[in-house]
Amino acid sequence: MSEFAAELVGVSKRFGPVLANDGIDLAVARGEVHAVVGENGAGKSTLMSILYGLHRPDAGHILRSGTQIRLRSPADAIRHGLGMVHQRFRLFPGLTVADNIVIGAEPVTGARLDRAAAHRSVTDLSDRYGLRVDPAALVGTLPVGVRQRVEILRALYRHAEVLILDEPTAVLTPGEADRLFEVLRTVAAGGVAILLVTHKLTEVLAAGDRVTVLRQGRVTGRFTTADTTADDLVHAMVGRSLPTPVPRRATPDAAPALDVRDLTVRDADGVTRLSSVSFSVRPGEIVGLAGVAGSGQRELIDTITGLRDGGDRVLLDGTPIHPGRDPRVAYVPEDRHARGTAPQMSLAENLLMGEQRTLATRSGLPRAAVRERARDLVARFSISAASVDVPISALSGGNAQKAVLARELSRGSRVIVAEEPTQGVDVAVRSRVHALLIEARDQGAAVLVQSSELAELRELADRVLVLFEGRLVAEFGGDATEAQLGQAMTGVSA
Amino acid sequence: MKVLSPSVVAVAGALALTTLVMLAVGVDPALAYPALVRGAVADGNLEYTIAAFVPTLGMALAFALPLRAGEFNLGGDGQLAAGGITAAAFALLVPLPPVLAVVVPLAAGTLAGGLVAALAAPLSTRLRIPAIVSTLLISAPAVSLASYLARFPLAEQGTGIAQTPRLPEHAHLPALTEAGYVTIGLPLIVLLTGLWLYADSRTVLGYEIRATGQNREFAWYGGVRVNRVAAYALAGGGGVAGLVGGLIVLGPPYRFVDGALTAPGYTFTAVAAVLLASARPVVVPVAVALLTFLQVGGQGMEREAGVPSQLTQIVQGLIIVIVAVLATVRARRGARA
Repeated sequence: MSEFAAELVGVSKRFGPVLANDGIDLAVARGEVHAVVGENGAGKSTLMSILYGLHRPDAGHILRSGTQIRLRSPADAIRHGLGMVHQRFRLFPGLTVADNIVIGAEPVTGARLDRAAAHRSVTDLSDRYGLRVDPAALVGTLPVGVRQRVEILRALYRHAEVLILDEPTAVLTPGEADRLFEVLRTVAAGGVAILLVTHKLTEVLAAGDRVTVLRQGRVTGRFTTADTTADDLVHAMVGRSLPTPVPRRATPDAAPALDVRDLTVRDADGVTRLSSVSFSVRPGEIVGLAGVAGSGQRELIDTITGLRDGGDRVLLDGTPIHPGRDPRVAYVPEDRHARGTAPQMSLAENLLMGEQRTLATRSGLPRAAVRERARDLVARFSISAASVDVPISALSGGNAQKAVLARELSRGSRVIVAEEPTQGVDVAVRSRVHALLIEARDQGAAVLVQSSELAELRELADRVLVLFEGRLVAEFGGDATEAQLGQAMTGVSA
Repeated sequence: MKVLSPSVVAVAGALALTTLVMLAVGVDPALAYPALVRGAVADGNLEYTIAAFVPTLGMALAFALPLRAGEFNLGGDGQLAAGGITAAAFALLVPLPPVLAVVVPLAAGTLAGGLVAALAAPLSTRLRIPAIVSTLLISAPAVSLASYLARFPLAEQGTGIAQTPRLPEHAHLPALTEAGYVTIGLPLIVLLTGLWLYADSRTVLGYEIRATGQNREFAWYGGVRVNRVAAYALAGGGGVAGLVGGLIVLGPPYRFVDGALTAPGYTFTAVAAVLLASARPVVVPVAVALLTFLQVGGQGMEREAGVPSQLTQIVQGLIIVIVAVLATVRARRGARA
């Protein structure tokens, strides 16, 4: 029997003109956490889809414990002991934890679902791997971190011996991510082989045993995390080293460009979402906004951008924000698909939003002008796209994010609000996005960056504000440690 | 080729399946199809085909315009009837000089159709009742109200037929053919279609309507007043439906005959045509022409070859089924890639 639980041998896959995977070899051993990293479009997702039976390879084959297998569908993959936790969970919110876990392989007595047996199996499994869950809880009522545990348990319930996790920490808070890594260690110690797809290098170094790096569909590096540095990984991922931006840490003494005064927001049900929040951002500084999800960030940012009416509590250069999106505020939203873009519209039309009235002439909206503006932004922000007429959904995540930034920053707004500006983008785009925000700051914009990635706030921000349950509970300089920020975020007073 | 392929596949597939049905029920396709074509274009039938094309194209606009903003307007019948009865009332009750006697009733009909459709807008934006439901629900009482008006307050006395009296001479639409079935309604609706196509692709309002339809949150985030845009689009669609109602009433037989506006099924033929054009506005007139051709031709086929016109309804139904299947398959493929 092979020492490897699963091996991909010489796997190639082509989509039209794009060679997504080009002769990739990858082997994952029992009991190891094997990280697969690479930029967006490097071929990670394709490779994992092949291993999970979603795509068939054009060349190469898959070995499971040394024996060649053929996968025609995820059902085949599950039969062969492969399990996958997708980035977007596939759970039924209206069913209990136990029902979600046993679904598709329910214990039955006669024709009846044996709920007691289901609960027992779930409790057994969660004890064995230290994944604490309440089998009777409704999935819809659980926090994201626990839902992810349910997904992992579901795979283990089906006897998965190879577990694939696609960007599992994208949806988690820093604390939840740490707990996930502990869980993965326990699961691996039980003999399961784990493939961790990610682009966060700190995670790779913290949680992985070995790392395989992909670039443009090929393997460009294999490392053992114990004797690897983040620089080695970056070099293998992007083919060069990246300059680290050095933010300027001077406190400008100009009058604030953005001034929030004693802002209280209640939602439609009368629940207080923000209470008496006051702060200001001066031109030429980047202020970070930290807090666990749901601490009032959404309401605060919607009010600052004018999407939610804040009365006269939010002032821009001394005058209240215009309700219904104030053009003086550039806004890079967190959710590119739901808010930042219209995925089916063309790149040019996505870049147009907000400027349609300035580009209009008496005879309407000339297509030539729309395209020309788009081409100009594509060149200035080095967005890579086949043409400005392709739907923006055809762009990679990093390029779509650059397009959103291009649209927002090109308006020369006084205030820039960026929510999770580097979520789901690779290291090269991340450093480009940071450079753009720093450039805007140096040109005198007041920048507010909300991020759940504390390292990002530490890198970028001149000051960091912490929201907890709708209140501003702490303010740190740019040199705050993650421990300090983490404590404030969970309500432990600093 | 690439642009038309799903629609072309659907039409070809539907014709092939219908041919099989013809063979199965013992009808000779070699007789039936020529009869279908003759029924639509030969022996002076072209005039009827064009006369049916005009209201169907209008109703296609009434459905397609709100659809671009993401609102399904299924209340075309109600807007059509409201427009028709309002136009008839103005033509009968308000004495007007020539030209104005045509323009005013048409404008009033447009306004009435637009108002009926616009009722759905606050229901959708305030109460979150989808337009697809509210337009359909509002349609039935609107049709009944028009029917009541035609049977009682506006009825022609002494005939016992549910219709208004014949409209005064001044209010008759100028005819373009001798028989009078093709009126200036044709250039009017064609012009309107051209305006819509232009507005859709190269005006600010068209862009904002499309952005609202593609991703309402994106448009809202971008500063578009999405509720207002959606309401305009619904009212615009209803207005076109009301105008079509006015055009029918001001054309032969120059009166509002109860049921005559809704019985031919313009509304749902138009919905089918817009779906067949699958989100490509320039294809809408082509799809309308095709379905009108099938309908009018089908009646001719029945008269001439004794082939039941239901067979052409089978073709039409199959086209829609195939379009829907192709759209779903494409969406699945898109999601996987």
